[in-house]
Amino acid sequence: MIKEFTKGIFKENPIFIILLGLCPTLAVSNQVVNALGMGAGVIFVLLGSNIFVSLLKDFIPEKVRIPSYIVIIASFVTIVDLFMQAYLPSLSKSLGVFVKLIVVNCIILGRAEAFANKNTLANSILDALGMGIGFTLAIALIAVIREVLGAGTITIFPIGSFDGVITLPGLSAAPARVIGLSAGALFVMGYLKGLFNWMSMKKTGGDK
Amino acid sequence: MKSIVTIGSKLALICAVAAIVLGLVNSVTEPAIEQNRKDELQRALNSVVSDGTVGEELTADDNPGIEGYYPVTGGDKKNTGYALKLIGIGYGGDMNILSYYGTDGEVKSVVLMENSETPGLGKMAEKNEYMAKFIGTGGSKPVPVRKDQLPQAEADAITGATITFMGIAKALDNGASFVKTLGEEK
Repeated sequence: MIKEFTKGIFKENPIFIILLGLCPTLAVSNQVVNALGMGAGVIFVLLGSNIFVSLLKDFIPEKVRIPSYIVIIASFVTIVDLFMQAYLPSLSKSLGVFVKLIVVNCIILGRAEAFANKNTLANSILDALGMGIGFTLAIALIAVIREVLGAGTITIFPIGSFDGVITLPGLSAAPARVIGLSAGALFVMGYLKGLFNWMSMKKTGGDK
Repeated sequence: MKSIVTIGSKLALICAVAAIVLGLVNSVTEPAIEQNRKDELQRALNSVVSDGTVGEELTADDNPGIEGYYPVTGGDKKNTGYALKLIGIGYGGDMNILSYYGTDGEVKSVVLMENSETPGLGKMAEKNEYMAKFIGTGGSKPVPVRKDQLPQAEADAITGATITFMGIAKALDNGASFVKTLGEEK
């Protein structure tokens, strides 16, 4: 059962292995705080949709399952969006339209269709947490690389007098701005995917 | 036939439950969201109006491009200008613009508030440098509403986001003429 949880983090990581949800990954990985906010949103929506799809799998008629999933997913996304606007307005502002676009994030519909509608509630919850955390780790990794190389800073949550921005001396004076732009997201994503492929090939003895 | 009715009513039930839940969430979060909007407007007003106190909000009834305006009084209780909440039509729908005019209709400062412009193109108008081209216009100098009224470097800078530029420019122009009519009434 534990492997339903861990598979999303490594073996079936949604971003690096099954390559789902790349649009928000590329778009909001410009700052670490945005990536973490997006990750939290995705974990919540994924958990909610997996729970309800799993619970309602016998109630939802086969013919209208996709519209039903979309209604469930869209409801959770709207809840996240409203709460973010109300209590985290600055995060909501910097994520912009990408919060609403969680509705069409393929990870969520993909897990509902490929996993939650055939599995038990407990397994669906573990699957959602694993996939959500896998997504968050991957997007945060891309964001750290992009922000450090592209701006020379690491932006996290402001706590007390600390404003949340760690400025790295040297790098912030002459950053490689292209890494912070959209094209840089593709570069970083591509190199990381290559690195993970190389690592898994080395592990299996290169027979793939 | 019967199965279609069953399927339809099940889907309708799911939608109804979702709608009720969202209604409840909305009733919880709406006051907080409204408060955030007000705070943001207040912050923006304070940053736009540098040389006076902002009065009560008034409405311009016969001008759909103006959501409301605030008379600004200086230290000597004299009217130094007006802060206007303008609506411009951008590429992604309405843009909320907050601007501060002198009594002669001259733009003193502008900020772009809530908008749905394209990130990287129209959204660039949220930066202060973008609005520099409008400062000082509207009074004796006209507000630049076409690209060919701008110096070459600034015209190049708005390429790709011309609709945003025109939306902001027209709203500011409208605001300037409105402020001029206010001046005449007194």
